[in-house]
Amino acid sequence: MEFIISILAGILFATAIYNLLQKQLLRIIIGTLLLSHGAHLFILTMGELKRGNPPILTEGVSNYTDPLPQALILTSIVISFGITSLLLVLAYRTATENETDNMEQLRGNDNE
Amino acid sequence: MLYIVLIPLLLACTIPFISKFKHKLHTGIPVLLIPSAIFLYFIRFVGTGFEPVRQSYEWIPSLGINFNFYLDGLSLLFVLLISGIGALVVLYSIYYLGRDERLGHFYVYLLMFMSAMLGVVLSDNIFVLYTFWELTSISSFLLIGYWHFKEKSRYGALKSMLITIFGGLSMFGGFILLSVMTGTSSIQIMIQNSEVIMNSPYMPLALGFILLGAFTKSAQFPFHIWLPDAMEAPTPVSAYLHSATMVKAGLFLVARFSPIFSGYEGFFIIVSIAGIVTLCWGSYMAVHQTDLKAILAFSTISQLGMIMAMLGFGTEAAIFAAVFHILCHATFKGSLFMVAGIVDHETGTRDIRKLGGLMTFMPMSAALALFGTFSMAGIPLPFLNGFYSKELFFKSTLKLPQGAHPVTNFLVEAIPYLAVFGSIFTFVYSLYFLFGTFGGKKQVDKLPKHPHEAPVGMLIAPFVLVLGVILIGLFPNVFNGTFIAHAAEAVAGTTIVKEITFWHGFESTAFQMSLVVVALGAILVSTRRKWSKVYSFIPGRGSINHIYDAIIAKLDNWSTKMTTFYMTGSLRLYMAIILSTIFLVTLGFMLVTDGLTIDYSNLAPVTVTEIAVALVIVAAAIGTIFAKKNLGAILIAGVVGYGVSLLFVIYRAPDLALTQLVVETVSVALFLLCFYHLPNLDNTKDPAGTRLTNGIISIGFGTLMTLIGISAHSSDWFGTISDYFLETSHSLGGGDNVVNVILVDMRGLDTLFEIAVLGIAALAIYSIIKLKMNKGAK
Amino acid sequence: MNNLAVLPIITPLIAGIILAFFPKKLQWVRPLSKIFILINLAIAGLLIWTVFSDGTIILETGGWKAPYGIVLVADKLAAILVFTTNIVAAACAFYAPHSLTDRKERYYFYSFFFFLISGVSGAFLTGDLFNMFVFFEVLLMASYALIVLGGDKVQLRESIKYVFINLFSSMLFVTAVAFIYGAVGTVNMAQIAQRVQEADQQGILTTVGILLFFVFAVKAALFPLYYWMPHSYAVPNPVISALFGALLTKVGIYSIIRVFSLIFVHKSGMTHELFIWIAGLSMIFGVIGALSTNNIKLIIAYNIIPAIGFILMGVGVLNEYSISGSIYYLIHDMLIKASLFLLIGTVVYATGTSDLRKFSGLIHYYPFLGWLLFISGFVLAGIPPFSGFIGKLLLLKGALASREIAIVIVGLLSSLLILYSIMKIFINGFWGEKDESIKRISLKGRMAPIVVLLALSIFIGVGAEFIYPFIESVSADLLQPEIYIDAVLKE
Repeated sequence: MEFIISILAGILFATAIYNLLQKQLLRIIIGTLLLSHGAHLFILTMGELKRGNPPILTEGVSNYTDPLPQALILTSIVISFGITSLLLVLAYRTATENETDNMEQLRGNDNE
Repeated sequence: MLYIVLIPLLLACTIPFISKFKHKLHTGIPVLLIPSAIFLYFIRFVGTGFEPVRQSYEWIPSLGINFNFYLDGLSLLFVLLISGIGALVVLYSIYYLGRDERLGHFYVYLLMFMSAMLGVVLSDNIFVLYTFWELTSISSFLLIGYWHFKEKSRYGALKSMLITIFGGLSMFGGFILLSVMTGTSSIQIMIQNSEVIMNSPYMPLALGFILLGAFTKSAQFPFHIWLPDAMEAPTPVSAYLHSATMVKAGLFLVARFSPIFSGYEGFFIIVSIAGIVTLCWGSYMAVHQTDLKAILAFSTISQLGMIMAMLGFGTEAAIFAAVFHILCHATFKGSLFMVAGIVDHETGTRDIRKLGGLMTFMPMSAALALFGTFSMAGIPLPFLNGFYSKELFFKSTLKLPQGAHPVTNFLVEAIPYLAVFGSIFTFVYSLYFLFGTFGGKKQVDKLPKHPHEAPVGMLIAPFVLVLGVILIGLFPNVFNGTFIAHAAEAVAGTTIVKEITFWHGFESTAFQMSLVVVALGAILVSTRRKWSKVYSFIPGRGSINHIYDAIIAKLDNWSTKMTTFYMTGSLRLYMAIILSTIFLVTLGFMLVTDGLTIDYSNLAPVTVTEIAVALVIVAAAIGTIFAKKNLGAILIAGVVGYGVSLLFVIYRAPDLALTQLVVETVSVALFLLCFYHLPNLDNTKDPAGTRLTNGIISIGFGTLMTLIGISAHSSDWFGTISDYFLETSHSLGGGDNVVNVILVDMRGLDTLFEIAVLGIAALAIYSIIKLKMNKGAK
Repeated sequence: MNNLAVLPIITPLIAGIILAFFPKKLQWVRPLSKIFILINLAIAGLLIWTVFSDGTIILETGGWKAPYGIVLVADKLAAILVFTTNIVAAACAFYAPHSLTDRKERYYFYSFFFFLISGVSGAFLTGDLFNMFVFFEVLLMASYALIVLGGDKVQLRESIKYVFINLFSSMLFVTAVAFIYGAVGTVNMAQIAQRVQEADQQGILTTVGILLFFVFAVKAALFPLYYWMPHSYAVPNPVISALFGALLTKVGIYSIIRVFSLIFVHKSGMTHELFIWIAGLSMIFGVIGALSTNNIKLIIAYNIIPAIGFILMGVGVLNEYSISGSIYYLIHDMLIKASLFLLIGTVVYATGTSDLRKFSGLIHYYPFLGWLLFISGFVLAGIPPFSGFIGKLLLLKGALASREIAIVIVGLLSSLLILYSIMKIFINGFWGEKDESIKRISLKGRMAPIVVLLALSIFIGVGAEFIYPFIESVSADLLQPEIYIDAVLKE
């Protein structure tokens, strides 16, 4: 199953990157969202999947899944959320200020 | 000696203060004391019993950078030139530069230069030498740009800096190479261990690097082009830096290192060719100039070439002649520059086409010029030092040793003829300078000012120099024994005793060469107008100057073109380049290091639910690409997020699943909030080519990540540190939810700063929104 | 005593939080921020002193012993960089009130500023790879906030690109950390190093290392990943540019130095050869960029790239000289880049334009500014006896000792062109006819920070005898990863 999840994460990366290479702000942001999902799935896979109970200690159970990746993912989810929110507001402001949400029209030149 | 070297630099700091009183006291007067004192300090070393003096002061001993001063014959010669001519130049400048000029700046730069130059010739430590070397370039840059409101000054200053610092950096490279080879930074120790250097395969490289430094500084062909443009500097500067001292630093460098390299045949070939070509080209070009200072500039180039060639020959006779000529050239060329300055000062122009017949107005200057130019031309008179050095030069060209390389042997044959060729033109431009200015028809009406003789003070300095010309001419052996021989000895490494005599008889080949020069030169002078058309063919438009200008223009032009080509501001392009690079290089490394490992042994079983969830996620992820509306795209992206949280549930991560659910919901809401008002997705498609590249990049990158992920998972050499967490969560962490214990305890720092990130994001969002509102209000 | 390692991270965090409570009261915020940064500087000074006299400080946070908890490792390299960071930060804090509009200051500039310092110090001090990611996010988040501060059109446009590219590299960072965890089962840097060594850096490890290198290379603005940098560094206020130019790219290159001197050193024939190539190309393309424009802020921004190239070259060559050179150059570049950005910011303030074609003869009005720029040019190009020289000398010596001739030639040529790019500003902007239309305005308060930074960078050149022994011991430590590993994983 680890391989399948790796492939799934890879597909998420691929679609994320395809979106990142688009010109519209919304698509690019969706791309970053997918990217973080892909990254989190990779972290999850790196601990072994489904080898035991959820890492909540209970009497009589000695077999748990790897808790560390979960902790790392949790941190990462929160951080990604922070960035995504900032990005959304920023994108909104950029789009209204520059009157376009097309990145190809947001090129600019040297002397500004 | 440290103090002597640094005194000008330190006293330069007081100049801005002194120059405040320039209307009461010309700043040059107190400055004059400095070079005079230094001259007096060093003159006492002159004598037959001179022995090299060493002094060391620590600076950065751990890097082998120390003030190791070494005063041998060669440095003594240079030190005396620097301080002696320095004093005369300062004296001259007092009359040359009026009090309305920015005297403070001028003398600060000049003193800076003096320190730097003394440092160059006295340092035994290569890195200290390099430091002072660059300081001479910098001060020269400032002095050339002294009248920086003139476009040409700026151009000349930049040109000289680029070329000399280019050479300086190259020399620096050579120095480092030498220090890596020998493990020392002292030139004298290197000389003692020269066989280590000679046996190193990198010796030619080091030599090339160092010679590049010397050739650029001493204006050797094809790097000579900066020197004529450096004539934009005030004339005292031209006389001092660009004729007597700084440009000779390159010669000094070659002389200093010749004990190491002279055994190598390439040294002879490169240095002699550079020197002799420069000699010929410089003297040939000098005749074509119309600006008095430009004539002198090309003449300097040519004379430097001659000395360089002699250093390249490397025979005792040649080295002796080279050292002797360094002294002679400083005297006559210095005086000529000063005369040119006087002419400029008193007539308002340096254009030789407007000048002429000044003899009657300026008899003193004319007389000084006469001695200077005749000496330079090498006219056989017993009171002109130029003749002696020219004879020594000719003689040295005749006694070149044969070598192993065919080029060497060709050079041995060709050099005497080239020497005569160059000298003929030297003769021509010398007389052209003299008669064009002082002889011929008077054209007073063409001059901006009515000409008259210069004030006496201005004549003193050139007079002293001409006196030098004559004294050296009359008593060459007085100078010879006391310090020329010491200097030559320092270069050649063996004792050199040379008697200089005037008369060698008609049968002496050197004398016959001189006669040829005088005869052919005289013919060329009288027919100059007829053959001067030759200059429109050589160099014509293909001159080195054009190449320099083209390089600079192209540098600006190409860099702009190139940079705007890829720095388009397009995020897509940036991302595409970044992604492709990471993809290609990482893939390359994976293949080369045999990184791909797939191990099926340690896997969780595959179940239908998981596959189903995975397929939904895949479908939704692909769906985001094809969504046509904002709302649709956002919701589909949401599906991916919920799918992932479902996976978290399946994979025994309840906390993650919950968090993911909440975050996903809030994110989707935020998305909708922000993008509801924005225009809908633009569904015009990119060109097929772009889409294809995008597709390739994304699929490639995704595959790569999958492969690395699988390999990383399959590489199972070590256990994880997680077992410890499971063991200690309850006992040490006091909690049963291990993930929570890790978050708040074992990795509490992560969590603290994760909260900080959220906090900063909140503040940032607030400030982005608020600032906008404030702006709207204004 | 060990807690000293966390103070340079926590103090600015607390300062930032405190200042966020009353952002509008500038009469309080300004002096307080100066006091805080000086306190932090003092702490960093104490840290550097302690580390050099008593050795590496290991702080096991929460009392969880390494490699299980997060460790902070204040070794010599980290201590030096934290100290330099605080010097730069202090200069910027003193410059800021003169350069920022009140409006920008009120919108939490100082809070973001302190959060940035906290993140940067954290990234230098942490001994845990995932924790490094977290600190990266702290500093990036603060930098996102700073770069858009003010929020005009151009700024928004450039900052959104900046955010996207950095966000991408952050995600790649997390993924790379995951891969490392998958392969060696730990995220503690010392333990990773130990295990990579035991596994002889086989199989996928080098590939993951390269992936990690690219993550850092994007942050460090190396060829060919620097596209996001020049414009986004040139648009914000000079104080912010100075902070970014001096600190952010340096965090990236620091991470490369750390990871590739500690962890992935066993296949250096391949990985480090790649670095030399990238270093060379960064130098070439960086100076080409610097020569391509007439925008003086962009000239300075582009000049970051070759400098990073020089530092990477030292890592690529990987011998004692070259690593010393890299560190020397790193410190030198932090100081001089900050100083140059502030200097150019002052020029832009004085002239009202950043277009070099629109002003000249400035030296008649601002002689002092002109001479500072002149000297900076030589400092930057590595002309002796200034600070760049010592770094360059060590780097080139290292490279030549390892027979890397080509990179030396590239390095020397790019030094010349770096000098040219700065002298272009001096010759065209400062020299020339007196322009009567310019009105002299007061630059009060702006000069002191610039002068201090420049003086320091000159001092580390001229006074190299005081500095070099420290740098040498840093590099000696770096070349023996066991020292770090043993210090962290001591039994």
